[in-house]
Parts: sequence; structure tokens; C-alpha cells
Amino acid sequence: MIAKYLLWLLLMLGLVGCGSPPPEGLRFAIANAAVTLDPRFSTDATSARVNRLIYQQLIDFDEANRAIPALAEWRQLSERHYRFQLMGESLFHDGTPLQAADVLATYQSVLDPATASPHRAALKLIASMAIVDERTIDFHLNKSDPLFPGYLVIGILPRKLLATQHPFNTQPVGSGPFRFVAWPEEGRLQLERLSDQRSVTFIRVKDPTVRALKLLRGEVDLLQNELPSEIVQHLVAEGMQVERRAGSNFSYLGFNFEDSLTGQQVVREAIAYALDRESIIHYLFADGAQLATSLLPPSHWAGHPSLTPYPYDPDHARQLLSSIGVSASEPLQISYKTSSDPFRIRLATVIQQQLGEVNIKVNIQSYDWGTFYGDIKKGVFQMYSLAWVGIKTPDIYRYVFHSEAIPPNGANRGRYVNPEVDRLIEQAESAATQPARVEAYRKLQALVFKELPYVPLWYEEHLYVARPDIKGYVLSSDGNYDGLIHVQRQ
Amino acid sequence: MPMRLWFPLGIVLLWLLMALFGPLMGLQPNQIELSKILLSHDSAAWLGYDDLGRPLWDRLVMGAQTSFMVAVGVVTISLFFGTLVGAVSGYIGGWFDHLVTRVIDIFLAFPGILLAIAMAGILGPGVENVVIALAVVGWVGFARLSRAQVLAIKHRDHVQAAIALGVSPALIVVRHLIPLIMAPLIIEATFGVASVVIAEAGLSFLGLGVQAPEASWGSMIRDGTRYLLVAPHMILVPGVALMLVVLAANLLGDQLRDRLDVRLQNSR
Repeated sequence: MIAKYLLWLLLMLGLVGCGSPPPEGLRFAIANAAVTLDPRFSTDATSARVNRLIYQQLIDFDEANRAIPALAEWRQLSERHYRFQLMGESLFHDGTPLQAADVLATYQSVLDPATASPHRAALKLIASMAIVDERTIDFHLNKSDPLFPGYLVIGILPRKLLATQHPFNTQPVGSGPFRFVAWPEEGRLQLERLSDQRSVTFIRVKDPTVRALKLLRGEVDLLQNELPSEIVQHLVAEGMQVERRAGSNFSYLGFNFEDSLTGQQVVREAIAYALDRESIIHYLFADGAQLATSLLPPSHWAGHPSLTPYPYDPDHARQLLSSIGVSASEPLQISYKTSSDPFRIRLATVIQQQLGEVNIKVNIQSYDWGTFYGDIKKGVFQMYSLAWVGIKTPDIYRYVFHSEAIPPNGANRGRYVNPEVDRLIEQAESAATQPARVEAYRKLQALVFKELPYVPLWYEEHLYVARPDIKGYVLSSDGNYDGLIHVQRQ
Repeated sequence: MPMRLWFPLGIVLLWLLMALFGPLMGLQPNQIELSKILLSHDSAAWLGYDDLGRPLWDRLVMGAQTSFMVAVGVVTISLFFGTLVGAVSGYIGGWFDHLVTRVIDIFLAFPGILLAIAMAGILGPGVENVVIALAVVGWVGFARLSRAQVLAIKHRDHVQAAIALGVSPALIVVRHLIPLIMAPLIIEATFGVASVVIAEAGLSFLGLGVQAPEASWGSMIRDGTRYLLVAPHMILVPGVALMLVVLAANLLGDQLRDRLDVRLQNSR
């Protein structure tokens, strides 16, 4: 009897002793869940950032946002002919090797109108593609564009699964540093890091206070961005690690040029002088933002290094406005549209107060995101605030300020038309040499800065908060999650 | 005066004073002072400042005005229309009464606050729309109560006498029925104030009430939830105010019922 009991005990011990437990997973809190894990369709920031982990793309960007080789290096054989050569050996997570044919199949799928990919428009300049050998692919363009390699940022999908209409949006198969494990519910996505089999779970926690509480309680290990600065200070006081780095997401006030008020240069200029952006950055962001002068940050290869921000000068603003008959008794009435996000409303309320001091009576209209964004695209606004997120290539200027880019053809939502701007955009695009191109983009930025279709506000910093035992996370300048590739728990 | 009377009376009186004399107090509820963001208190504002550095006391007074205005507006409208519909329906009877009872039943079967949210959602944000939305829900209670009361007294002698003398039905309802059923209606109205204050705060909390930068206790609580960890005073101030007013209104309603209810007094 005792012997039997002992045997049981041994068995139990043996079972427990079998195999070491898997390393404890990392839990990453995010504010918004990924929408799709298919890189052909992802447009939201979370999906794009998660997809970077699961898939590999042909190129990537360096600190100055120049395109650099990632999966492949390239040579420009002629003005409209690029040759991409795969570097190193890459395997898809199903074991098949990544070859030029997979690149071809992925881009063919994106370019196929039946796929209805939102990225198709940016790649329409591809006239044809041809496989040279197993590891080499040629791209032929229908017009010359020196920025072309920078457009090839779609994650490469395996051709075999593409042919079978595999549901990549829910069951992704890529070749990136993370393998998809499970996505049981919208707010809970589990990946596995291939290098050490550590699981990384993305947990959606909408409310910033709850996110902070979960971090404090150890229900999540790390998180990035979207925390009010006051809560960040609290987390620091509680012993959490906090890191910041300058970001490139550009916040601005946009104006409607077809409106009789905001269409006037003097009104926009007065608004630029009336805003005390330094106080806003100091008090509302706890210095977690940098003053902006242009859509591209000065560190960008095409950025303008020497534009001076409009100073805070309410007297000058009042003076400007008095020239068009605006006074304290006859204030200017401007409606200001913003999203219903509490932090955006808070910002809008401060801007309302600052503009009120120079006799501009601002009427804040906050809408849910869908309504707000719809109105902005339709041009139904006088003034609005928004941000450009993840801008890499200066072709954004054609998309935003060219007279041909009025929606639905682009994002010139303020209907800004200036032949000189159009000319500079085209000059930059057709410039023969890199210095000439940079020169044209700088001239363009100076002109836009003077005419103020946007009043530039700031670039918000990126922020990373983690529990004390998390080590090795590196923030990126565009806020992606690549830091997860090397992060460790001690 | 016993404690359970002066306490609620005091609170309600204070609320009334804040609401009526707030505009005369020279407050600056919308004065943004970025350097004072989330300060808990200083000599100028002993309740502290909110997330934009606006003094909480000033905003509390402004919120009192909002909630008072909405409460009075909703209860008055509901009392008037509810009583009229209920009394007329009870007096006339027949198919009309049948129809009104069914409508009341439908309204009662539907969760009131949900209907109010739907109404406010359709009408769009704004104080006037909150009043309308809550009144649409609020009249039902008064209608049901007054109908039941009228049914109970419409066969009394003085009503029969009035009918015999040829008094018009409208006059009978207004002069011979409604005055007799006022007591329970007033009690209902007192409780109504409490529930409307809560409902207004709820709608404002959801962003359907007053619009920024106007203040309501509900919207103040909503703003405060984001800073619960670092500045709990932003929630405590409007939260305690809300709790006290609702508690006081309910206590007052209880007191009134005790006093006006003949049976309870006899049994004492």
C-alpha cells in the first residue's frame, strides 16, 4: 500500500519535473486593437505596427527617413527600372523560403483592383514586375519617381497561401521576428518571438487610467504612448521606468481656404501669433512635445532646418486683426472642429481661450471620429486640428498641398491652391540631383510656412512606460513596436 | 426642528442659493490658468483646480445652476403634462383611458434612462435637449399617479354634484379633481427632482448634456475620471455635491410624505 502511494508520489514529482516551464510572457497594453493583420489592408497605426513584427518588408527607413535596405537591396538600372535583390535567407513561419516570387505575388495582389487594397493608389506607378532569378526582381515604372523604393513597405506574404485566398487578416503568416499564435478576442492578440519562444500578448485597455493601474498591479508589463502627462508623473513616482524620445507626428491647425474668414492670410497669421504653444507644451504635455514649423521634422532628409516658429505675440495678432475691422466689441467668429477625444477637447478649450484674447470667438464643435473625419474630408469646416502620423516620404506635400489633391484625389482638405506651391512640388519631384530636390522641398516648406494652410503646432514625443523588471526596449521615432524584438524580463 | 428636516432643507437651500445667485457672484468658471492645472487647493480656490486650471468652486456653482435649471424645467413640464393627461384620462375613461394606459405601460416597460439617452442622442447635445429628453420620460410617473388618484375620487359627491349642476368636464378636472390630488403629486415631484438631477448628471457624463466649456456636475465627473489617480478632488467635489443634493431631495420627499399622508399620522 505504502509502496503504491510512493509510486504515485514519484510519478507526480516526475510529471512536475518534466520539461522546464516556458519563459513567462510579456504583456503589452495598447489603446486601440489592431484592425487587420493583413498588411495589404492595414491603414491604422496599431495594425501597421503589429504587422511590422509579423512580416518583413523590402525596405525600411533610417533616422533621417531615407529608404534603406531591409529584406532586399536595390539598384536603379535606369530612370524607370529598379532591381531588388533579396539579402540573407528568410523563412516564412510555415517553413517555406521567401523568394522573389513571393514579392511578385504580394505586389501583384496589392495592385489587383479586385483586391481593393487602400495602398494600391501609392503603387500605381508600377508598370510591370519581372522575376530575374529566385532572389532578384525587377520593377518597371510608368513614370520616374526618385522616392520609389520608399513606397515598397508592404509586408511580404507567401505566394502559396496568397493563391488559396488564405485569411491573412486573422491568421497571418509572415517571415518577421514574431509568429502569430492566437487572436481569441479583439482586445487580446498573442504572438511568439521566434528568437526565444517568448510569448508577447497585446492587450487592449482603452482607458488611460485603467492602463496605468494595470501596469502598477503587474497585469501588463509595458505600454507605449497615449497617457496624460499627469499620470506619467504618477507612474514615475510609483517606480515605473519611463523613457521619452522626440517624435515625428505632426499636429496642426488646418483652415478652409474657401471660407471668407479663414481664407484670409491675415486671419491665419493672427492665429499663428495668438497661440502660446510653449505654455501648452509645458503644462499640458509636461514638455513632452517639440514646437513644429513644418510637416517634416528638421531631422528628415528633406526637412527645413532653419524655420523660426511664429512667436507668441497677442498684441501683434490683435493689430493684424484690427486691420480687417476686428475688435473686442466685434470679435471674429470661427468654428473649430475637433474629435471627441477628451485630450483633444482639452487642447481645443485652451486654444479657444488663447484665441479669445485676441478677439477671435471660437466655437468648439467636437464630434465622434467618423463624423469629424467625414466633415474634414468633405471640406465642411472653418478650422480643425489633426495630426499626420507616420510620414516618411516628402511626397506627402503633393498629397496635402497640390491643387490637384483636393479630395477625393488627395488630402488637400483646405482647398489650398497656389500655382507656386504646385510648381515647387513638381520641381522637387523632377529634380535631377538629391541636393536640388532638397533645395526645392525647403523652398516649398518656407512658402507653406509663410502662407499657413496649416498653422504648425508641435511634434508629440513618444513615451514608453514599463515595470522595473523590463529591460532593453528601444523607442523608435515613429512609435512602432520594434522595441519588442529585443526587450527582456530580468 | 429635528435634524432629519434641517439637514435636507439646508442642503436644498444651499443648492438653490448657488443656482440663483451664482451669476451674481462674479465667478470665473471658464478662466483657464495653465500653471494651476490639477492643483488641489490654494488660497484663491479652496476646492482646487481642474485639468485646465479652472477653479472647481466656480465650476461647481455653475454646475449647480445647470442641474437646478434642468431639474426645475423637467419636473415642471412633466408635472404639468403628466397630471393633465392622467387626470383627463382617468376622468373620461373608456377607450381614451385604455389608450393612455397602454401608452403609459409602454413607456414604463422601457428603461427610462435608455430612452432619455436615445432621445438626447437624436436631438443632439445641449441643455434644452436634455430637458426635453428627460421630460419625455418623466411625465409618465405623474400621469399614472394622477390617473389612479382621479379614479379613486371621481365618484365622490362633490364631483357628482358638479356634474349635476352642468359644470364643464374641463372645469371639473381643473377645479374639483386636481387640487385634491396635489399632495401625492408634490411628493412625487420631490422624488422626481432627485432622479432628474441624477439623470442629468448621467447624460452629461456620457457627453450628451452641456457642451464645453459649460459645466455640469456630470461632465465634471467625466473630466475627473481621467485623473482619478493623481487628482481625486476633481471627482470628489462634484460627486459629493451630487450625492448631497440627491440625498437631501429624497429625505425631503420622505418627510413630506410622512406629513401629508393622513394614514401614517393617525397610526402614530
